[in-house]
Amino acid sequence: METALTKVKSEEYGGELIQLVSFNLEKEEYGINVLMVREIIRMLNITRVPNTPHYVEGVINLRGKVIPIINLRKKFDLMDAEYDKRTRIMVMEVVGELMGFIVDEVSEVIRISEKEIQPPPPVVSSGIEQECMAGVINQADRLLVLLDLEKMFTADERRLFSNVA
Amino acid sequence: MAIDCEDQELLDGFLAETTELLEKLDDDLISLEKSPEDADLMNRIFRSIHTVKGASSFLGFDMLVKVTHKTEDVLNRLRKVELTLTPEIMDVILEAVDLVKTLVADIKGGDIIERDLEGTIAKLIPFLSENAVEATVLAPVFAPKEEKEAAAPAAPAEPAASQQAEEAAAAPAEPQGAKAEPKAQPAASQQVAPAPQPKPQPVKEPQKAPAKGGGEDLADNSTVRVDVKRLDDLMNQVGELVLERNRMIQLHSDYQTGLNPAEFGDDFGKLSKRLNFVTSELQMQVLKMRMLPVEKVFKKFPRIVRNLARDLGKEVDLIIYGEETELDRSVVDEIGDPLIHLIRNALDHGLETPDQRLAAGKDRTGTVVLSAAHEGNQIVISIKDDGRGIDPDKIARKAVDKGLVTDDQVAAMGTREILDLIFLPGFSTKEQTTDLSGRGVGMDVVRTNIRKLNGIIEIKNELGRGSEFILKLPLTLAIIQSLLVEVEKEVYSIPLASVIETMRVSKKEFHMIGGQEVLKLRDSVLPLLRLQQTFGCHEVYTDRDTCYVVIVGVAEKRIGLIVTRLLGQQEVAIKSLGKFLSNLPGIGGSTIMGDGRVALIVDPIGLVGGGAA
Repeated sequence: METALTKVKSEEYGGELIQLVSFNLEKEEYGINVLMVREIIRMLNITRVPNTPHYVEGVINLRGKVIPIINLRKKFDLMDAEYDKRTRIMVMEVVGELMGFIVDEVSEVIRISEKEIQPPPPVVSSGIEQECMAGVINQADRLLVLLDLEKMFTADERRLFSNVA
Repeated sequence: MAIDCEDQELLDGFLAETTELLEKLDDDLISLEKSPEDADLMNRIFRSIHTVKGASSFLGFDMLVKVTHKTEDVLNRLRKVELTLTPEIMDVILEAVDLVKTLVADIKGGDIIERDLEGTIAKLIPFLSENAVEATVLAPVFAPKEEKEAAAPAAPAEPAASQQAEEAAAAPAEPQGAKAEPKAQPAASQQVAPAPQPKPQPVKEPQKAPAKGGGEDLADNSTVRVDVKRLDDLMNQVGELVLERNRMIQLHSDYQTGLNPAEFGDDFGKLSKRLNFVTSELQMQVLKMRMLPVEKVFKKFPRIVRNLARDLGKEVDLIIYGEETELDRSVVDEIGDPLIHLIRNALDHGLETPDQRLAAGKDRTGTVVLSAAHEGNQIVISIKDDGRGIDPDKIARKAVDKGLVTDDQVAAMGTREILDLIFLPGFSTKEQTTDLSGRGVGMDVVRTNIRKLNGIIEIKNELGRGSEFILKLPLTLAIIQSLLVEVEKEVYSIPLASVIETMRVSKKEFHMIGGQEVLKLRDSVLPLLRLQQTFGCHEVYTDRDTCYVVIVGVAEKRIGLIVTRLLGQQEVAIKSLGKFLSNLPGIGGSTIMGDGRVALIVDPIGLVGGGAA
């Protein structure tokens, strides 16, 4: 990933600037490195794929390419919600593969300094969410959870994906 | 030692030409053995080797020159009838050709490896002295020590032959990359190694396996030669397509400037017809360009059969039909292996020894017929022998002995199910495993390979008269004919190649046997699988009492899939589901339908139950 592009040296902060796409899930705000995001699309017809983990919603046709869709609510064990007109699929490149993630709402692109990222708080509950939490960004009026999607799937899950016999 | 050749183009040309010559050489040599007096053939062989020699000396490949030079000399003496062709001479020549191939493969691999040439050359030398007939007896004197007894022509090259059989049989079965890999153990030293050596260096990277079957280790399927006419046709079609696109753009702008809708509808209808026509043509053309004659695989069999027959002490006529039959590259790459297994099987297990044959009132010489033909959208390859056939009782007993099945299970099986037992992993009917059959390669490998190709294997068997293995394979793997079915409002696509028949049945006709739903189909009992349950589809229809059964066959197994309704046949392009969703049981991929939705492609292999029988 060419992080060099986003890492603009900032003299003010003395740290590097990172651009994040922020999105909402169950009223919580999350952030993800903008370079991971290929595109953001509206909900489409999703074809269910049998025998997959519950959070795999299915697959979609993204201009001729078939990509899997993951429901982040389900992945994070949040309450299920109806899709509405704000629901979006964020198409991202995770470990070399395109995948879509269903989120409640995509809000904006923000710039933060690396210095603003705090390590994730000590484990309160050992949810899956914890696994891919790269840090917390504490801004005056809000709190963002920085996600690292590469850590999204545990080694076990990866095995599951590639070795279901 | 790296290759020092400044002119890459020259080198490429040399490799392409040499590869081609060598590929043909094997075939020619075997034919020559059958008709030694064919002067044209003899000259052609001589010329091939001569050309290789000339080119390699020009480029400074000294080792290659050395071997080809001696081989050429032997051939020259044969040509001048100073020497008569014997199987022993042929063995040595073939060995030399193998060595040449290894050397060329090294060059291709980009690194010249010092190989042991002396062993092979020493075997050639005896045939060069004036009194060659006596020379064979004297040969051991010339043979360097490390050759061991294997090379001693006094024991008429039997060990050498078996060694070669090993070589020939093993070589095509391993990935092409293996020998070109500079790290691989030098094959040349293998050739002079003692006979029991099972095969050249086990493959280091088995996952690189798909590139096989191209014939020996030289065949290169990474580039294609395409008939210029086909290329021209393709260009024409693309031109047509561009015209249609322009027409479409035109139509769109006409429409926007207010064309009357009825007229637009008409034009659009015509346009779609044209477009349909052009794309189908284009698809055909591209498919044709990917087509290779099955000859590419078949041509190495005469040699394999020759070596095997000599090794097994059997007399065999190999008859090949339909080698011009074309099929897709992807399939060509995959069928080599299964075919070798089947041929080896036919010779090893199927055919009797000449004495046994005479006792059974047959000709001494057995016949193996290898044929290929198109049949609709499939290619049918058959390997037929007139040997002893397969004894179902023996198979059943063996399977029970090996603990693969129980007596009760056998009792419940029909002849066909029993024959299918030979596809179980670890099954071998031969009492004593030979070098060739005892390598843990068996019919289960064949089955796995054929399944991978969405193919079907059928066995025809007549005890005492011979057996026939029939492979039915799809022509291509990229675009398949499929049957679209609906399962509780979800659409699935089943590869048509594995569909045997479809039928509409009333749910009342289903029976339960040991927890398994079955259907009585004519004289057999067909196990059923409810796709709705397998795929966990939400049940939509509860009041229907009829449904459709799609009978699919994978390799030798049959199973009936219960679906809600049949939607029809369609040609679909296979899209991968990506690595995150690969290997889902029962799902082989996906495709995009006319409306842009994704339909999943059912993988009958996964449904039938993979390797575990």
